[in-house]
Amino acid sequence: MFGYLQPFREELKMKDYKLYKSVYCGLCRSLSKSYGLKSSLTLSYDCTVLAMLYMSLHDTPCSVKKGKCTVNPLKKCMICTCEGDALRFAGAVSVIMSWHKLKDTMNDGGLFKKAAAFFLRIFLRGNYKRALRNYPLIDEYTAEMMKQQNEAEKNDVGIDRAADPTATLISRLCIMFCPEKTDRKTIGVFGYHVGRWIYLMDACDDLEKDIKKKNFNPFKKKYNGDVKATMQYCNEVLNMTAAQLIMAYELLDLHRYKAILDNIIYNGITIQQKKYTFDRYNKKKTKDIDYYPAMDVHE
Amino acid sequence: MKDPYKILGITPHATDEEIKQAYRALAKKYHPDRYGESGLASQAAEKMKEINEAYDRIMKQRKEGIPYIPEDTYTCPYNNEDEYNSYQSNSTGRDYRVIYRLINLGNLIEAEHILNGTSPTERDAEWYYLMGTISYSKGWLEEAFNYASTACRMSPDDDKYKALYERIIQQRSGTQGGFVSTRSGAADCCDCISCLICTDCLCNCGSCS
Repeated sequence: MFGYLQPFREELKMKDYKLYKSVYCGLCRSLSKSYGLKSSLTLSYDCTVLAMLYMSLHDTPCSVKKGKCTVNPLKKCMICTCEGDALRFAGAVSVIMSWHKLKDTMNDGGLFKKAAAFFLRIFLRGNYKRALRNYPLIDEYTAEMMKQQNEAEKNDVGIDRAADPTATLISRLCIMFCPEKTDRKTIGVFGYHVGRWIYLMDACDDLEKDIKKKNFNPFKKKYNGDVKATMQYCNEVLNMTAAQLIMAYELLDLHRYKAILDNIIYNGITIQQKKYTFDRYNKKKTKDIDYYPAMDVHE
Repeated sequence: MKDPYKILGITPHATDEEIKQAYRALAKKYHPDRYGESGLASQAAEKMKEINEAYDRIMKQRKEGIPYIPEDTYTCPYNNEDEYNSYQSNSTGRDYRVIYRLINLGNLIEAEHILNGTSPTERDAEWYYLMGTISYSKGWLEEAFNYASTACRMSPDDDKYKALYERIIQQRSGTQGGFVSTRSGAADCCDCISCLICTDCLCNCGSCS
């Protein structure tokens, strides 16, 4: 995953922001504990959200305590620990997906990138093996997703088909960890649109680069390389996905981290979309925080 | 059974007015009109039922002096069985009853398979509408958008097609989540969207004739 799902910090309460950071640090700690120190390199915001969703759906009791940062021993931070499987699961997703992404880069990146991916893979190998042993299903799903993604790119398919593998993967992961009593359909649809949104954001982010390098990008065909015009359209596509995602989100039974998750879903998504679709192409960057997302559903 | 106050997200000390307000907000949130063809309609209806029950229970409990009758209890207007029975084949005479049935049962793959068997020349507005519905529940939103707009262009007067198309347009505008790219207030935005929908319809009519 890539780190597009983030809270809009300016609108979070301080306590919630600290809690969010503690989950981030807790995930980092859990990664190095369960799969080896090197695996904490793969830490991402998206996996933090996944861990929080896991804990929220399961209502896992967790505690926060002070500790040393895993990566930088001089730094002190608040670290979240929880009883259940949440942090280990999210960690495994992080390691396994990074591993497969590196494999993909090794196959079709540039020469320098290929070499870097090759060495990183040797570096991460042991960690990946440990994650694989614990969660073989995640690996199976991810491998299938990668295969379908490559096939889709080869055939130069439309937006829906291109986004489908990633969306299906996240949907399956969400169904995998949700508690018995959760409605499979709701969590499945939620996961599907989260995955779709992440994929489309990534496509948006890479559009300029992909046009230059003549790589596959689902948005490329629409305006024949006019990036600015495409961005308006990208935003529309993202909006519709966000609307679907929110509809499913509102049907979920959440117990913990509600304030943070709400912030990510209602404000974080908005800000990220603005950042990647418009701000990047505006020479004069508008740095206003008096911006409030217009939501008539969430009053 | 869950605490009805918890369901409505209020404290037991809330006034009748506050309860009513909370109920209305939730009813709006989970209203079947919003969930429509998204494939989560039954889940939303479930939630709606829960809210209705909670509201009714609170009101019953509070019925000490004056009996209180809620004036606006939402009943689910989305009754699929009725739609099926009242279905009449459209002007071109094609019968899509099987497809509606399959969609109601959640068998989208089969429904799509049958629809794809129709030759391109015989595809009417309803065909595009149904394909749009299927894509929409599958989460293939761009195809859903294309199908719905084609259905709307082919028969602009049909309320059913228009409803789906307008819902999609509204979602794309960003008012239901995501980012609204025009920097106007929310109220202006709504007007702006309905304006756009109208002009769009007019344009389509023009191009048809």
